[in-house]
Amino acid sequence: MALMSFQDTATLDFHFRVDKFDLDNYKRIFKNYNFFGYLSNSLYVVASACVLNTFISSMAGYAFAKKHFPLKRELFWLYLATMMIPAQVTLIPTFIIMKQLDLLNTLTALYLPILNAFGVFLCRQFMQEGLPDELIEAARMDGCRELRIYTSVVLPLAKPVLVSLAVFTFITTWNDFIWPLVIITDSAKQTLTLALSTLQTNYTVNYGLVTAGTTLTFLPPFLFYVFMQKQFVEGIAFSGIKA
Amino acid sequence: MNQADLTKPSLMTGSIRRGNRWRDAVGAYAFILPSFILITVFYLIPILMTGFYSVTKFNLIQKPTFVGLDNYTRMFSDPFVTASIRNTFVFTLVTVPIQTFLALLLAAVFASRKDGFWKNFTKSSTFIPVISSMIIVGVLWRMMFNTDIGIINSLLSVFGVEPVNWLGDKNTALLAVCIVSIWKNVGYFLVIYYVAIMEIPRSLYEAAEMDGANRRQQFWMITIPSLRNITYLVVTLGTIWSFQVFDLVYIMTGGGPGTSTITLVMTIYDTAFKVYDMGYASAISFLLFTIVILVSVIQKRFLGERG
Repeated sequence: MALMSFQDTATLDFHFRVDKFDLDNYKRIFKNYNFFGYLSNSLYVVASACVLNTFISSMAGYAFAKKHFPLKRELFWLYLATMMIPAQVTLIPTFIIMKQLDLLNTLTALYLPILNAFGVFLCRQFMQEGLPDELIEAARMDGCRELRIYTSVVLPLAKPVLVSLAVFTFITTWNDFIWPLVIITDSAKQTLTLALSTLQTNYTVNYGLVTAGTTLTFLPPFLFYVFMQKQFVEGIAFSGIKA
Repeated sequence: MNQADLTKPSLMTGSIRRGNRWRDAVGAYAFILPSFILITVFYLIPILMTGFYSVTKFNLIQKPTFVGLDNYTRMFSDPFVTASIRNTFVFTLVTVPIQTFLALLLAAVFASRKDGFWKNFTKSSTFIPVISSMIIVGVLWRMMFNTDIGIINSLLSVFGVEPVNWLGDKNTALLAVCIVSIWKNVGYFLVIYYVAIMEIPRSLYEAAEMDGANRRQQFWMITIPSLRNITYLVVTLGTIWSFQVFDLVYIMTGGGPGTSTITLVMTIYDTAFKVYDMGYASAISFLLFTIVILVSVIQKRFLGERG
């Protein structure tokens, strides 16, 4: 079973690729089916989501971990509660909200809802123990403003959890399907996963094409995973154990 | 005296101290603000909206009209909804135990093997399905389950088994989807279990060995009980995920044949974005939400954290 996952992409791809002239499918998929466009859409959405989520969640996580303010516990409980809401339950209202904000059928709508409490939770867990209070105090003594403390002290020290969070966000956003399905109606704005599904329903027999598309959609997360394996696994273990 | 000295507690008078604390609070709120706004807009408000819309009739073009509990009563006689609930439950009851058990077993196997190339390789390969998109997984497995040219039937024919119409027969379609889902999720839970097993103190095993316990006894008496809390996490997470299944079914069977693989989320999607019956769809969403909460509470009661 474990090895099958590797063989999967390789075998099927191989089998049918040899069948139908190797690179030809890839060329077709890029030219005729606008896969470059889909690829750039996916990349744009994923990159935005990663950057935004990393900064915004770590800011909030830092506040929850190290700062003191009224209602801290209640607010955090609220955050935890939202993590229990399945995304599908908020699907319709979020759609309606996007409509009101005039963001239907835009790429912005795709990455905005990705930011959620999970990132804050992850950052907080890490920062509570991984950020020494003394360092922050020392920076404060030196007269640093809060923002400066955040950028110069907190961020560099939080690199491990930030990387884990970026990896998670990358994978989740890249593979997101139902949300782009609901929001995007313009075929040019589709993400790779969305485009792949339409490729299949339209051309159920052209396996070479479909596997080419599949491999393409699979590659970026896979490469990302291969390079970031350690952080990724650590991130999961961390969230799992501490949860 | 310089700036820093003024902030020493002994030198801070009441009002300065209170002022500082106030400043701290404002600073903290500022840090939380962006995240809070996003969460409110995309989670808190929507959940209230779902509740609101669930008692209305709304099709996006006209204004919503209040219909009381009509949507909810309609649900119970709707064949699509009842089929979805049944399928979703069956799906959960099949996939969660199997994937939990497999993940645990594989993790234990991995834990007992020496580190090395093969170990890392197989560990990584089990994780590849996890990072793959549901769509990719669905597309590939759909090909593999193909009645005529799929790999699964080819393999089965080696054993003399007749080709099975996996995705076209309503008795096997759901099973096929279950298989794929288990395959995809095992890697994730395996990592969690593996790390947890690694944290069990060696001394426990050594003591048991000295008392004459063999490997199997050690597994049952030490490993399993120590993993109780982790198992709770794995089962809960697995259950919540399985209630949300959509992508996989959409791409593999589209809900068919008939209604044999339609799930709750699929019904919500169809009702909302194909029929545009937002009120009714919101009611079904709210039902899903209630089921998830109920199941989580029940699981916490029975499997919850101890000690």
